[in-house]
Amino acid sequence: MKKTWIIIVNVVIIVALLTFVFFYSHFENTNTTQRQIEHFENTTITMEHVTENYLEGEQRICDVWARYINSRDMTIEEAISFIRISHVLPNASAHIVYRDTLSGLSTRARSDDPDEYSVSYARTGLLNDLNWIDGIGESINISRAFTNPVNGEQSIAFCNSVSVHDPETNELKDAVLLRVLPLSELEEKWVFPHEEFENAELSMIDEDGDYIIKGHSFKNSSFFEFYRSYNAADPAFTNELFEKITSLTGSLFMVNSRGEECILAYTPVEASGGWTLLNLMPMKDLNVSTQNWLLIGYVSAGLLILLVFDTAVMLYYNKKLQAAAAEAAAANKAKTDFLSTMSHDIRTPMNAIIGLTTIAEKNIDDTESVGENLKKISMASNHLLTLINDILDISKVESGKLNLSPLTFSIVETVENLVNLSQPMIKEKNIDFNFRIGKMEREYLYADQLRLNQIYINILSNAIKYTEPGGRVSVDMREEESDKPGCIRLIYTVSDTGMGMTPEFMATMYQPFSRQTDSRVNSIQGTGLGLAITKQMVDLMDGTIDCQSELGKGTTFTVTLDLPVADRQREDMVLDPMDVLIVDDDEILLQTAVDTLESLGLNADSSRSGIEAIGMIKHRHEVGRDYGIVILDWKMPDLDGVETIRRIRTEVGENIPILLISAYDWSEIEDVAKDAGANGFVSKPLFRSKLYDKINALLGTEAKSVEPENDYSDLQGLNILIAEDNDINWEIISAMLGMFGITTERAENGRICVDKMANAKQGDYTLIFMDIQMPEMNGLDATRNIRKLEDPWASSIPIIAMTADAFSENVTECLQAGMNGHIAKPIDIKLVIKEIRRIKEERS
Amino acid sequence: MKKLLCIILLICTFALLTACGEKTPEAVDEGFKPALDTETECKITVAGSYDNFEALEAEFDRFNEFYPNVQLSYVKLDDYSNMLGTVLGSNDKPNIFFSYTWMIGNDQYKTVVDHMEDLSDSALGLDLSCIRPGLINHDAQDRVMLAPVFSRTYGMLVNNDLFEKEGLSIPATWTELMKVCEEFRSKGYSSPMMGYSLKSSSSFMNTVAYPLFTATLSENPDALSKANKLDPSAGEYMRPALETVEKLMQNNCIDLNECDKIEDNYTKVILRFFEGDVPMMICTADTVSGTKKRESQSEAFTKTPFNYTFAPIPLTEEGSYFIDSPSIEFSVNKDCDNLDMTNEFMRFLITKDELNQMASVKRLVTPTSDLSLDSVYAPFGQVPAERIISPEELGITDQLTVQIRVAAFQVARGEITIDEAVKKYGSFE
Repeated sequence: MKKTWIIIVNVVIIVALLTFVFFYSHFENTNTTQRQIEHFENTTITMEHVTENYLEGEQRICDVWARYINSRDMTIEEAISFIRISHVLPNASAHIVYRDTLSGLSTRARSDDPDEYSVSYARTGLLNDLNWIDGIGESINISRAFTNPVNGEQSIAFCNSVSVHDPETNELKDAVLLRVLPLSELEEKWVFPHEEFENAELSMIDEDGDYIIKGHSFKNSSFFEFYRSYNAADPAFTNELFEKITSLTGSLFMVNSRGEECILAYTPVEASGGWTLLNLMPMKDLNVSTQNWLLIGYVSAGLLILLVFDTAVMLYYNKKLQAAAAEAAAANKAKTDFLSTMSHDIRTPMNAIIGLTTIAEKNIDDTESVGENLKKISMASNHLLTLINDILDISKVESGKLNLSPLTFSIVETVENLVNLSQPMIKEKNIDFNFRIGKMEREYLYADQLRLNQIYINILSNAIKYTEPGGRVSVDMREEESDKPGCIRLIYTVSDTGMGMTPEFMATMYQPFSRQTDSRVNSIQGTGLGLAITKQMVDLMDGTIDCQSELGKGTTFTVTLDLPVADRQREDMVLDPMDVLIVDDDEILLQTAVDTLESLGLNADSSRSGIEAIGMIKHRHEVGRDYGIVILDWKMPDLDGVETIRRIRTEVGENIPILLISAYDWSEIEDVAKDAGANGFVSKPLFRSKLYDKINALLGTEAKSVEPENDYSDLQGLNILIAEDNDINWEIISAMLGMFGITTERAENGRICVDKMANAKQGDYTLIFMDIQMPEMNGLDATRNIRKLEDPWASSIPIIAMTADAFSENVTECLQAGMNGHIAKPIDIKLVIKEIRRIKEERS
Repeated sequence: MKKLLCIILLICTFALLTACGEKTPEAVDEGFKPALDTETECKITVAGSYDNFEALEAEFDRFNEFYPNVQLSYVKLDDYSNMLGTVLGSNDKPNIFFSYTWMIGNDQYKTVVDHMEDLSDSALGLDLSCIRPGLINHDAQDRVMLAPVFSRTYGMLVNNDLFEKEGLSIPATWTELMKVCEEFRSKGYSSPMMGYSLKSSSSFMNTVAYPLFTATLSENPDALSKANKLDPSAGEYMRPALETVEKLMQNNCIDLNECDKIEDNYTKVILRFFEGDVPMMICTADTVSGTKKRESQSEAFTKTPFNYTFAPIPLTEEGSYFIDSPSIEFSVNKDCDNLDMTNEFMRFLITKDELNQMASVKRLVTPTSDLSLDSVYAPFGQVPAERIISPEELGITDQLTVQIRVAAFQVARGEITIDEAVKKYGSFE
């Protein structure tokens, strides 16, 4: 759905809600108003009862007077005197007026003449028509408001017909008795209860609509005139209104003189002749809560905020979705590109393997050609293996199934392995390679060695890979204190003078399937997964990876990991004090080496060149204080290590033990160095433990110091049981081991392997190489069963996994099943031999 | 699009929210600035002879916007002229009351006049200059005891649609008037002109005769002096006016029998005119003031409304007269309660805007200097200045008006001849 539609739907919902709230509020308001109006009407009716009682009370007084006057045959003077006596209200008065002349007497004197009691209604018009005066006690005979002709006050009068004795005719004469009350006094008493409805005002109208008593808000002299003045009404409606108001009880809405909508309640005054009580109040004064408007306001504001919030969230998620979609599209494209690349990259070494195999088959008799082809096939196979490993790793990384399997391992071995692995490429590209070790106190650490190796190798191999021949690659490793208890901080820095990277590529270099597009890169084999895997692994190990790079100048990667220190550490490594000379042109290495040697209890001198070293050695020799050992770097400017040894031997003699240092594989110079007089070799980097071991060995058995690397006599006579269901794999391992004089027996599956072990005699097998995935019984179950055998020898025989399940969790699984080691397929025979020797040493 | 929608929504919501607010009361008159404490609570009563005074009650409401706690009310006094003196001295004395020029100098109303406050006192701050000078009465001490709130004039209601229907023009001269009446009669209108005729007060006879008599006196200062003194010799000056009335009767412009069917000089006159068959209804502006409200009360007019105006009667060949005299005037009872607030109300009321507003509601001629007339009075706007006569300026007394009023009434009804009427000048009551 388009965003516009979503907004429209939101707006429609808001409008619908507001409409609902509005109508609901309106409904509630209407109900409340209706209830208030009913209450208002009821209050008006109550007021009518009160009014009626009051009027009846006042009328009753007039009735009493009238009855008395009529019963006594009084003259008008006597009647007035009687009333004057019985009258108690200070502001009220009474008038008796002859019907014929409309003149008579008042109980009170005129205001402008204290002796004048006469009164005349001849010009007021009040008594012109007396039909409204009923018989005594029959009804309330109240006049309209009029101007009291005696004192000028606006008044009303309760009236009765009386007969007074006329002395002149000696007959009774009809007259009207008026009990006159000032309107102001009545208005003070006759008010609507304010606690009920503030601003409500009462009026009373006669049968014509003229006011008898008029509230302030009522205008005109007639209520209907008032209504017509401010409300649209045609004659028909006016007549209907007149009929309704003067005969019924109810209410209606009207506009007052201020243009305000008002409620008018009306009810007939029952005791009177056609009078109506009116009660008028502005609608705004009805106690109808206006909170509903507030509610609508709050709901409106709330919905608006909700809309804005929803829209903002929607836009935010839309952006994220767009970004994710773009990312997914990019990832898909990258995968497509990757598959395309993989196809190419897999086919390339496969092509080499198949092609070279074909050539070798054709030239099977040409040993040299076959050897060359096999060497190339091996290289292509290794590349293919790396490629497959990377793909598997990244698939695990992406599925989140990459777990760490920590084990105790030696960082020294790890570094040696690292150096060894990188040697062929370094040699091939003639790269100036330096591996410097800083302060390294702890040798054994507890971590996933496989993944750590992978991190270090990936970074180092990238550096070597992307460095032009003749370039320089430096590795620095040092140990620092860690914030984490029980850990050390291992900082691994690899710097190269390679091609460097663009900032754009650096921004995405940790993403899978990314490779820098560069004409130079295309000539370099790689999967584009190495850095992604490395980054994931560093993250998994809670470490950091940092990269500084400049295009064309080189790159520096720094990996910082906090690794737990293993419980197992080397015992105190201290040698007997002696003078040692260390010679190297690398200042940093020189200083590190001096520190390391001194930490071993030796007195170390240093020299930065062979010539200087010779001078120092000669001087010591002349003074009779020969160095106990001289440690020389092989590759030095001016005078290399071999030549220096040669001159030392010539000029000083054969007695001084000399160790030759090399960052490279020394096999190619071994013979020359030995001939020159080298007593042993030590590889860079110079770990403390390594120096300790080498110096100990050199001082102890100088002649054995140079180990015969190609001497496999120790392996002769070993018999290994190999559990392997695949015939070719069996054939390969069998043949390979056979090359080293090792005999093998095959078990086609796990069950056969267990059976063989159950039937074997002690010493029949040195160890077992166990495949994992086999029919009938897999390697893990077979191992568990072997470990359960009664024969202690059989149950404790070393078992090494030899499987294509190469992940760390597979290794862990194997170890947990009771195996003693793990070798991944395809097998590296060097690793196999190393593992055999390790096992052999442990057993002995 | 999204931005536009948001803006519309915001505007709608703002409009919704602001719609919940209350309307700010409009300022009634930016020119009026309350001089007293606006929270003052008191009562002010205006006493008068009108049954209704909606225009004044509207002013009460407007004044309440400044002084919400002042309760103002209008009260009609019975037997106004006789009772006023008593009422002013009573416990119920009004703050303001209707007053008339004829009260000044009349012994019968001495007590009334004694209660009047001098409105020209500068301390009161009343802007009397907004009233046309000819309407303001100055007494011998040059005091102004009465403030005109409406102006009265004399003329006739004209049914314009009827003239148009019969193809006639509104007459502008005496001859045209006679001709128009003849035309109407020939078309079946038995009484082309009508008016109230039962009593001399407010009768059509006076409405015709008074402007002519006033015009005659205005041209002769000596005659005015005699007339005011009720000198019988001044009766001769009534003759032109009485002859005009007689001619109207003799020429059958007016059917007296028809006129006698009109029971009062106000509502019935209007309702008769609204029947729609009377081309010209003679009356004063006081009667015109009731037309607006009674339009809806007349079934005939509601059924068949028509256009009408109030025009001066063309009583001479030169045209008509515009008699500009006060209709209702207000005096302040200087002995009343809350005198300060009473004067404050007068200060509020006696302004051009408020008087015009009140005249508009009442449909009377405003007393203010800009003569802002209701559309129904439009024909009076065409009367040239030299034919506008102010009886107040001339100094015409009430006794004089009684003479011409009664004389014209009796002559028209054939009770006396013109000669007899002339001779009886000064003796009419």
